[in-house]
Parts: sequence; structure tokens; C-alpha cells
Amino acid sequence: MRHHRTLRLLALATPLIAVLFAGLIGSVVIAIAGKNPLAVYKTMVSFSLGRFDSIALILFRSTPLLISAVAVSIGFRANLFNIGVEGQYFLGSFFAAWVGFSLRGLPAIVHLPLAIAAAMLGGMVWALVPALLRVRRGVHEVITTIMMNSVAFSMVHWLIYVFLDVQQTTVPGMGSPRMRTPMLLETVRMPTLHSLLNPLLSPLGLEIPRHVYLNYFFPVAIALAFAVNYLIRRTPLGLEVRAVGHNPEAAETQGIDPNSVRLKAFMLSAAVAGLAGLSDLLSYYGYLDIDFPKGYGFTGIAVALLGKNSPAGMILSAFLMSFLRRGAEGAQVLEGIPMDTAVILEGVMILAIVVASSVFGRYALAWQKKEARAHADQ
Amino acid sequence: MQISEMIASSIRMCLPVLLAALGATYSEKSGVVNIGLEGMMITGAFWGATCAYYAGPYLGLLGAILAGMLLATVHAVTSVTFKVNQIVSGVALNTLAYGAARFAATTIFKMATTTPGVPRLPTVDIPILSLVGWLEPIVKTLSPVIILAFLLVPATKFVLERTVFGLRLRAAGENPLAADTVGVNISAMRYAGVIISGGFAGLAGGYLAVEHTGMYVEGMTQGAGFIGLAAMIFGNWQPVGAMLASLLFGLSEGVALNVESEIVPYQFIKMIPYVLTIAVLASAIRRATPPAASGVPYERGGE
Repeated sequence: MRHHRTLRLLALATPLIAVLFAGLIGSVVIAIAGKNPLAVYKTMVSFSLGRFDSIALILFRSTPLLISAVAVSIGFRANLFNIGVEGQYFLGSFFAAWVGFSLRGLPAIVHLPLAIAAAMLGGMVWALVPALLRVRRGVHEVITTIMMNSVAFSMVHWLIYVFLDVQQTTVPGMGSPRMRTPMLLETVRMPTLHSLLNPLLSPLGLEIPRHVYLNYFFPVAIALAFAVNYLIRRTPLGLEVRAVGHNPEAAETQGIDPNSVRLKAFMLSAAVAGLAGLSDLLSYYGYLDIDFPKGYGFTGIAVALLGKNSPAGMILSAFLMSFLRRGAEGAQVLEGIPMDTAVILEGVMILAIVVASSVFGRYALAWQKKEARAHADQ
Repeated sequence: MQISEMIASSIRMCLPVLLAALGATYSEKSGVVNIGLEGMMITGAFWGATCAYYAGPYLGLLGAILAGMLLATVHAVTSVTFKVNQIVSGVALNTLAYGAARFAATTIFKMATTTPGVPRLPTVDIPILSLVGWLEPIVKTLSPVIILAFLLVPATKFVLERTVFGLRLRAAGENPLAADTVGVNISAMRYAGVIISGGFAGLAGGYLAVEHTGMYVEGMTQGAGFIGLAAMIFGNWQPVGAMLASLLFGLSEGVALNVESEIVPYQFIKMIPYVLTIAVLASAIRRATPPAASGVPYERGGE
């Protein structure tokens, strides 16, 4: 029994090992750029955690990453690799924006949920072709979803162009055209958490500043992570998803149709993916333009892997990723280190976590075999 | 626009896809899926331009190949030695390559997304053929890399089908257990397959930066690494098939460049290669015969 606890501790330690390894590689990169790694890391920490507005910003920025990671993790549970979250949230954001600027006269209690549902639909629409090709023709989803991402950027650019707000196309005083949708109506905007949290924070002398748009999608994302985990672990559908993900042939002998389960899991993943852009769209920007934030889909993969698909793990990993980004911004301004260090660290962390998990899995297996043999000999 | 000019531009456009597809053939034949080709191409493009800037085009292309091979070595370590999920490893390498190129560009050139202009290789004419009038745009003032790439098609076919190395490489991807039993070093073969594919992807990036554009620009690979993988699948894991599929992609881009943009919005023209990739994968898969153990880590005495 004691050994079981050791194993579990080791399993928990693998993400930490990965983070430390990435830090080590990061040090080498920083040293190559001619700076002192320790000083840079110190700046990163003090810049991102030293001020409360910075912490609030990290929470705001972790929201899309967490939603994206939850979407990716649903795929992972069914042994699907949804690299298409990127395109799915672009389409989802467009669908939500469309509902947001075109439907008028609805009360917020109807309009906002409608926009959220539209975003989920948009994500699912965009995943339909790769999902059907996977289950009907056996085309692996990796390349098709990557291609759908590239198509999504062009498609959304075109849609923005189609719905271009003519009155807003030129900025007063500037000649350049502005490529964006009309402003979304107030009834579709997601309120921020300021009015809820600031009264609670003020006795502590803290305040979420107005320029940080931490909003209700943050608690929604956290609830989503736990809800999806419940769905996967405690419901019949979740059982099927895990069975297919673990061993499709065995699942089939149990009377489960793997392809039907894959399709459901893919659509669920895409529906969640469709939400990833909403915190930015409905709370911060209020319009969709061609510079809408990219990359949540890819960072979501890193977050899901590092968090090992568990809700608590993914929440912490999402915090870590946005902390790194924020810290890297500080390092760029204060230390002259390119902020792309954060992207390098992200890539190294993915590699390190999968290697550490693989080594640990091997060790655990060998250890269990030894246990079993010792047991049999008795 | 003349047909021959369109063919010439198609050939120029298809080259990164062709090189990636040829490289992918080595990797897949040895049993390793290399989705990181895109990142290796980005790395090759950046270091190709950087080396060409400081040391001329020959060393530039050499630098591109070595940079691609170096990144491929990481993929080999994680997916062959540590037996991790090969697709996860490839995706991580793509992220890493993107970040590293930006980091290096900012550090070396103080610009995140481009390098300065770099010198190209002297162009060549194919003798005899260049005397035929209408062939002129296709066979005159060519980048030597284009000729090299098309020579690498039969060379790859020869290496894979007629050499001991090729036989062992294919055995590692087809039936590693049997190959291991007769003394083939599976890990060594898979390292070789992956590192060769990295060299091809690096050269593809080097061609794009040094020969095609004359500088490195962020995003210049435009998914050619992924499209190369699709071309390899469409070509049924054969070098000649990969070449024909790559030409199809080059032709689609050559045509797309000449479509009247008044009729079709340019955003749709930009989608053509990606939509074509999906269509090609959808139609290829029924008759596909991938190496039996491609994507499966080899475990000696494994369960």
C-alpha cells in the first residue's frame, strides 16, 4: 500500500518535472541571448505576481486557455486529437458575433444564451467535416483539422468583410480601413466580475482595475472543467467515451459502436471549443475583427497535456501558461528578452510532460509486474 | 498567360510540398509519423536565410538542412527512444519551432518576423531542352534546388527499394519484430528515417527562404509541411506518387494565382490548397497501404 502512495506521488510529480525541465531549457535560451536567467525569471515572477491587476489579468487570460483545454481533453479521452480547436473557436466567435449584432430587441437573458449557443453551433459546424471523414472514411483527424484551421482564418476574414460595418470602415483622422463587424449589442455583452468581487476585495485593499475585463466566463470555464469531468467519469456516455478511447475493439465486443461514440465526443469537443473566444469577444472587444486573438487552440493542447485532462490540473496549467505569457511580456519590456520565450517554454513543456509520463508509465508497469510476481511466489 | 509559364510557376510552388512529401516517405517507411515537418520547414527557412545572410547561399542551404535535421533529432529522441505519442511530439515541435524562429529573429536581427534579404544561388538552364522555344519558361533560369528536388525522387525510390539500407528501413516500419529478430537495429533505422525527413523539410524551408523569396518571412511555409504529409499519403507512400500529388498541389496554386480575383474573393483562393488537401485525404484513404507499423512505437518483448 505504501508503494501505491509512492506511485501516486510520482504521477503527480511528472508535471512538476516537466515544468522544471522547461525552466532549465529556458535558462539556456536566455543565456544564449546574453542575459542572466535567474534575473529574468525573477523579473517574470515579480512582474506577473507582484501587482494585483496583473494577477487579475492572468485569470482573465487563462479563461480561453482553460475552455480550449477542456475541449481538447474531451477528444483525448476518446483517443481523438482535436487540433482544430483553433478554427472551431474562430467560427464559434463569428456565429456569436453574428447573433450579437444582428438580432435586435431581445432581452439580455435571451440574447446572451443565444449567442453562447450559436458559438457552440459554430464550433460543431466547423468540426463536422473532419469528424465525418474520421468516422465514415477513417481519415485521421490531425491533418484535416489543421487544414480546417487555415480555412477558418480565411473564412472568418471573408465573413467579416461581407458584414463589414460601412460606417466604421474608416477611422476618423486615419485613412486606413478598419476590418471589423458592427459593434455587438449591449444585451449580448458578458458582465465583468468587478461589481461582484470588488466589494469583497476592498477590505483587503485590493481592487480589480477597470482595464482588466475579468468576467463571468472565468467561473463558467472552471465549472465547465468539472462538469465535463463528471460527464466523462460518471455518466453512461462518459463510460462509452473512455471505453472507446482505451480500447475500441474491446468496446465493440461490449456492443458499443466506436464510430458513433467518436462522433459524439468530437461534436462535444467542438461545441466546447466554440466557446473559447467568447470571453474576449463578449466581454472585452465587443466586435470581431481580423486581429482577433489567435493561438488559444494550440496552447489549449499544452494545457490539457500538462494538466493530464483532470479539471484541477488543467485549471492550474491554464494559470501557469498565462502567468508565463504575462511574465514574458515583463521580461521583454524590462530585460529585453523576446516574449516568444513563453512559446518556446510551452513547446518544451509539452515534450517534457509526455516524456516524463512515458518514463513514469514504464516504471509503474515494471513495478506492478514485480509486485504481481512477488505475490504469485508467496 | 501561357500554359508553359503556368507550369513553370506550378513547379516552383510545388517544391516545398514535394520535398516535405519525400522526407515524410523516409520517416513513415521507418515507422514514425512526422507531423513536425512544418516546424522543421520553419526552422530550415529561418536558419537557411540567416546562414545565407552571413555566409552565402550554399552554406545557407546547408544550414537549413542541418537545422531541420537537428529538430528532427529531438522528434526521434522523444518518439523512438522515449516512445511518446508521435503526433503530440510533432505538434510540440511545431510550437517550439515557431517560438524559436521568432526568438532568434528578434535576438539576431531585432525583427520578430523577417530577416534581411539574402543572396540566391546562380540559376541554371537545362541544356538542349532550353533550345525548344515553348519550354523556355520551364527549363531556363531555374533554381538548382528545383533540379535537385526532382532528382531526389528517383534517388529516393532507388534508396528505398534497391539498397540494403532501404530494405532495413522499410522492415522497421512494416514488421519491426521480424526485422529485430534477424538483427536489424530498429531504433537506428527509425532515427535515420526521422532525421532524413528533417533534412528534406529543412531543405524545403531553405528553398522557400533563400531561393523562392530571397528572405525569411514568418508564416511563409503556409502549412506546406502538413500538405506534404497529405501528398505522401495521396501518393500511397511512394516517391513517384508523392511527386505527382505535389505537382497537383503546385498546379492548384499556380491556377489560383491566375484566377480573376474580381469573380472569386481572394479569401477563397487562399483556401484552395487546404480544401484540396482535405479532398485528397478523403479520396486517398480507401486504397491507402501505409507501412503496417507506422505510428506504433516498437517495444522489444512488448505486450
